[in-house]
Amino acid sequence: MKRILNSMPLVAFGILVAVLYSFLNQENEQLESVLVDQSVPEFKLPSLENPNNILSKSSVNKLPALINVWATWCIACRVEHPFLMQLKNESTLTVYGLNYKDDRNKALELLANDGNPFEFSIFDQQGKLAIDLGVYGAPETFFVDINGIIRERHVGALTQKVWKEKFERLLNEETDV
Amino acid sequence: MFKSFFTLMLVTIFCNLVSANEPQVIYPFEDSVHEERFLSLLNELRCPKCQGSNLAGSNAPIANDLKREVYGLVKSGKTEEEVKAYLVDRYGNFIVYDPPFRPDTYALWFGPLFIFLITLSLILVILLTRFSNSKRNQ
Repeated sequence: MKRILNSMPLVAFGILVAVLYSFLNQENEQLESVLVDQSVPEFKLPSLENPNNILSKSSVNKLPALINVWATWCIACRVEHPFLMQLKNESTLTVYGLNYKDDRNKALELLANDGNPFEFSIFDQQGKLAIDLGVYGAPETFFVDINGIIRERHVGALTQKVWKEKFERLLNEETDV
Repeated sequence: MFKSFFTLMLVTIFCNLVSANEPQVIYPFEDSVHEERFLSLLNELRCPKCQGSNLAGSNAPIANDLKREVYGLVKSGKTEEEVKAYLVDRYGNFIVYDPPFRPDTYALWFGPLFIFLITLSLILVILLTRFSNSKRNQ
């Protein structure tokens, strides 16, 4: 009995190490979005391409679609850029850009050099629409279904793997109906 | 000689402290009730990017955006509850340090109680064995 009791601190410590170790490789960066199953928020913002063109929720009308939050200062956005180009070329899905707290000229330059995967980009310099979307870091990607309802959100670069895991199923649902 | 060196060192340290805190935006208020509400909100709201700190303690771009948003809301006369509800609608319970009560958060809610009960029973077992041992030895 005494031996068991004496070994308890070691056992407890072992359990603690095991529990903490199991958290190490977990991706806890992903906060769940409260926007899922909600409609796209209303907004009034200029387009990136033309400051005089004021866009609103009704401009996002080719559904289903992705809304991709991007910026030139965001490194992971460059990582996912080729995949967005691939989506544009190979998929029926529309991709809308939300240019987030960026410099207009730099953003236009990047699209001119690397290709523009977006139907259009909303120019959100103050991050107003981004706050309404619960954005906390670029890149973020939202899937909007045919009724204008947000169905999924991903924080971080959109890769082939993420696409397969989180978004492909949603697109298939939409096109089956 | 030593004294002047010491003074110089102190001055250097303080200069660095001042410059480290430089990019602080001033949020002016005319109403001191509003100002207090704003400051207490910054302490109670969590930064979504740097999840270990509150808005007051973070200088991340998103934290500064949210500070500005909270400033605007408070200035327009919104109550503390209204501001919190506004942010929870966008960022979830996460932002007010209020985890939902669901199967995957049971460990969070019951964990402390569980550990307390285990500790309590261990202490009881240890005390009881000691008690019975000392009785036997008498």
